[in-house]
Amino acid sequence: MLDERTILLVLPILVLQIALMIFALVDLIRNPNPNGPKWMWAAIIVLLNIIGPILYFVIGRRNY
Amino acid sequence: MKQFSTLLLKEWRENLRNFKIFWIPVVFILLGVTEPLSNYYLPQILDATGGLPDGAVIELPDPEPEQLLVAVMGQFQLIGMLVLVLAYMGSIAGERRNGTATLLYVRPLSYVSYFLSKWLMASIVALISVWAGFLAGYYYTAVLFSAVPFGEFLAFAATYSLWMVLVVTLVLFASASMQNAGLAAGFTLAALLILQLIDSLFGSRWEWSPLKLPNYAASFLDIGPDVTALIWTLAISLVCLIGLAALGIWFSKRNRAKTKV
Repeated sequence: MLDERTILLVLPILVLQIALMIFALVDLIRNPNPNGPKWMWAAIIVLLNIIGPILYFVIGRRNY
Repeated sequence: MKQFSTLLLKEWRENLRNFKIFWIPVVFILLGVTEPLSNYYLPQILDATGGLPDGAVIELPDPEPEQLLVAVMGQFQLIGMLVLVLAYMGSIAGERRNGTATLLYVRPLSYVSYFLSKWLMASIVALISVWAGFLAGYYYTAVLFSAVPFGEFLAFAATYSLWMVLVVTLVLFASASMQNAGLAAGFTLAALLILQLIDSLFGSRWEWSPLKLPNYAASFLDIGPDVTALIWTLAISLVCLIGLAALGIWFSKRNRAKTKV
């Protein structure tokens, strides 16, 4: 099932997911006052694919 | 004009530094890519989850590429819109709270420039996201299934873009008029939900409504929309957009007293 074609097709998704994760982690490290403990947000960002970084940006960032 | 470009530069920097200009398009691209891809791998996914008994044969018809793009639009209507609303709910209400507003409001500030700079930046991010997402979806559909005629695709995405700009205007209006960001998001989502419900229940009685923009966008991929209805819908949408922006400017001026110092 994991032939070359599949890998090529899914690779962009993987790259985007990792990019999203890195954006969120960089922002978390820079953020002096996130909405909750930093280690918790780091775990959410790394463990939950796609949803984790979005949750952090929307809830954890305290941009309101 | 000078004030506007200065404020726009501020908005640009803000969107760059809080990564909004990166992460929102990435979310839309992911939404656009997953739809064709999961349809393509549906047989394998069914196989892997082992839901079928031995001997059962299902013929899965190949989905039409048009259907896939409409499905991508459905994702944007749900998750995409939620992300945009939540990302921009605080753009004015939040500034009143976190102190940015005190720095701005003590100066002789043109509220037109203030509101429009925010509106322009949010619209740019929304448009980049929608187009990036649709192009990714278009590309994957073309590679895995077959291509939709590009002209139809352009008309589809352009019509849908106007709808997204309208949503962004509504969020900014809510953010200007409400006490805090949470209320603004709640108001926007409730308004969109209720209006869409009304339009889907009774919408057959009228043809001109901004809420029909996504439907008209989708019909470009099919037989094409009724031209007069589309033109009237576009005109009414523009009027709504200008009205909401004007109200937003008025409210952002009136609510400056609610700033926390």
